[in-house]
Amino acid sequence: MNIIFVLIPLSLIFLCAGVWAFFWSVNHSQFDDLDTPALIPLCDDSPPQQNNPVVLDDGRDA
Amino acid sequence: MPHADNCFHCGEPIEVGGLFLAKIRGRDERVCCVGCQAAAEWIVSLGLSDYYRLRSLPAERAADVADFSAWDRSQMQRLYVRDVANGCSEAMVLVEGMRCAACSWLIERALRGIAGVRELSINPAAKRLHVTWARDATALSTILARVARLGYTPRPLDAQSLDATALQESRAAMKRLIVAGLGMMQAMMYAVALYAGAFDGMDPATRDFFRWLGLLVTTPVVFYSARPFFLGALRELRARLTGMDTTIALAIALIYAASLFETVRGGAQVYFDSASMFVFLLLGGRYLEMRGRQRATDIVDALARLQPALAQRRQAGGLLETVGVHELETGDVVLVASGDTVPADGALLGERCEVDESLLTGESRERLRRRGDTLIAGSIVRTGPAEIRVAQIGAETILSGILRLITKAQAQRPRAALLSDRIAARFVAGVLTLALLTALGWYAIEPSRAFAAALAVLVVSCPCAFALSVPIAYLRAASSLARMGVLMTRSDALEKLASIDRVVFDKTGTLTENRLELARVETLGGRSVEDCLRIAAALEESSAHPFAAAIRDAARTEQRPTLSASAIQTSAGAGVEGHVDGVGYRIGRGDFAHSLIAGAHEPSLDDDVLLVGEQGPLARLHFRETLRCDAPIAIDKLRAQGMRLGILSGDCGPRVAAVAARLGIPDFHPRLSPAQKLKHLQDLRAAGSVVAMVGDGVNDAPVLAGADVAIALGGGTQLAQAGADIVLASDRLDAIAASRDVALHTLRILRQNLYWAFAYNFICIPLAALGFISPWLAAIGMSASSLLVVLNSLRITPLALPLEQPREAILAAQVLAPT
Repeated sequence: MNIIFVLIPLSLIFLCAGVWAFFWSVNHSQFDDLDTPALIPLCDDSPPQQNNPVVLDDGRDA
Repeated sequence: MPHADNCFHCGEPIEVGGLFLAKIRGRDERVCCVGCQAAAEWIVSLGLSDYYRLRSLPAERAADVADFSAWDRSQMQRLYVRDVANGCSEAMVLVEGMRCAACSWLIERALRGIAGVRELSINPAAKRLHVTWARDATALSTILARVARLGYTPRPLDAQSLDATALQESRAAMKRLIVAGLGMMQAMMYAVALYAGAFDGMDPATRDFFRWLGLLVTTPVVFYSARPFFLGALRELRARLTGMDTTIALAIALIYAASLFETVRGGAQVYFDSASMFVFLLLGGRYLEMRGRQRATDIVDALARLQPALAQRRQAGGLLETVGVHELETGDVVLVASGDTVPADGALLGERCEVDESLLTGESRERLRRRGDTLIAGSIVRTGPAEIRVAQIGAETILSGILRLITKAQAQRPRAALLSDRIAARFVAGVLTLALLTALGWYAIEPSRAFAAALAVLVVSCPCAFALSVPIAYLRAASSLARMGVLMTRSDALEKLASIDRVVFDKTGTLTENRLELARVETLGGRSVEDCLRIAAALEESSAHPFAAAIRDAARTEQRPTLSASAIQTSAGAGVEGHVDGVGYRIGRGDFAHSLIAGAHEPSLDDDVLLVGEQGPLARLHFRETLRCDAPIAIDKLRAQGMRLGILSGDCGPRVAAVAARLGIPDFHPRLSPAQKLKHLQDLRAAGSVVAMVGDGVNDAPVLAGADVAIALGGGTQLAQAGADIVLASDRLDAIAASRDVALHTLRILRQNLYWAFAYNFICIPLAALGFISPWLAAIGMSASSLLVVLNSLRITPLALPLEQPREAILAAQVLAPT
């Protein structure tokens, strides 16, 4: 039963780490827009369909 | 998704004869205009055609790309751009036309391609783009031009808006919520161990260990997460009133203090789990309310949309230069092109021009202005260009006056003393007196039991059920209404909505659309109605005037081939002249049209248009305003609910009377200025009516601010929405009656909750005071009564609106619905 005296403080340390991580991510704009990032993986890797011969170089992701 | 006859880019119907094709992925797609064609092809050429697959709403119609170079002037930069470290600058841009996540994806992709753009953050809900760029590599104008080429309208905002308070507020709320949530989970785990221990036996050392743990996790919840409640209570204390915040703060402080005390002295029971759960639930409600409020817009956005940032000033040498509006001075001469917004109040220098002041005055038709007449900042020049000598700038303009009127009316509106606040205040006072009496009573009889008994009274009667019942019912009602396309921006609006007995409407834009329809064609010559209509449509083919649009609409329903006119000449503010099949015609105001035939003259009637041929007058065309399609249903429903209805309008008498007659509203008042409207509303309220005002325009905003319940249309101006309690995001008038039903239902539930809390306390407090209730029983009772209140509130559900929900309503619901 004495194990709880180790595990519970340990869980509290994890809790603090979790709260710190959440605060960090909120302060770094991770939660400001919750809609757009969901779309990014859908199109990031797919090569653009280049039926149009004119492709502006500066439009590609740097 | 775009229909075959709708534009591939913006989804608007494609006009006859105005067909453009855009080449997209090898297919020719139909678009409605050059702007959309350019935007669509450019998006595809950037390799961004996925946008059309990802978007959930069609884009805004693309306008022709304007010249943005004026934004790079140092006078503009001072106001709109802020310099940051490493040779970079930052700016906040309001992007009009941004509608969904795909838009923000598109903008981000397109801007990332500009060399020198360092940081980008886009908030589609607030329509804001925050961009940081290197000064030596690129310029603000390049960025704005690229956004504009995508088909959006970029409007840089004042650099002050970079200190985004809304963002700070939302971030702080999120942190508070997560701390409360995690604290609650931990506290509950320890509480379960304690409850189990209470039944199976637990040695006091372990028990105290868990209690101290509970204290440890609850302390940040009370002192960090619950701070808004304590600050609110402090505000209420200073204003010498007791409201909901006082009750909540008192409840939190009491449970926490009692538990702290019991932990230290090793007493019978601690309540840390209740305290943290209570804070978490209340914060959750506030968070959703805040998101709703932030979605409804603020005055900063409203102003950015109304006032242009740039003006064309004529220099001494006669050349034009583009300057910022803040640089204008009294006496300057500015040129306003057709379709542009007047930057400052001033006198017209040209002969004549037509201006659209509907935003400011509610007047639905273009007004003719002659030399020397005043043009008002914020109105749109329809037939230009117009040259204006600036008379008033900045805070002296009529538009700024309207803004001041809004702020004043809002400040003067007394906050209704709400039912729940009144009851809660009395209840708190009663409970505190009872606890004190109990302590004193027991102190006289048996001092050792005085504390335990007083604590039991406080805990058992803990105003949790009270404090929860109101926010939970409101939260439930707000999310139900959001699903119906109705956004509540202030939670007290619900109670007032249930008590209204009079609904006053604005006319232009609220009951009617900003569009005319042809009511009747009265033939004067030998030609048939159909012929006259076809000739009129041919003459008006390329005119942007509302009369012309109505004539074309009417002619389109005729299944006859269209005629075409030649040698068309447009006289501003008068009419159109041209040849159809070799015969000369004139269409327009009476005096203009009649002058085609020598000698004939007729006084001009404002609402009629005359068609005259070389042989003589052919037809008189009568117009009327188009009613919004849901206006008659909405009016009938409100009348069935026993509401008294009225119209307050800035428009002229006959037009208001015509609309009132068609809708069967007996009480209407035309030709009112915003101040007169406000006065009228105050008279109604002084006579004892509880008035809801429905409006959409800038001129309605002060009146909205002065009503008991202000309802703004989602499609209306931002300024009206900024002052409103309720925004009809779905743009449907029939939602008003349905919202009132939801409000009534919510109040019924609320009363049940309050009755229950009373009944429970009425039975338990005497028992606790007499010492019959042990603290753990009190804790269970407290939780059970809170739970009952929450479950009862879940019975509030959205009402189905009879017609199909528009897409905007569904979108609004998605944004607001609790996740």
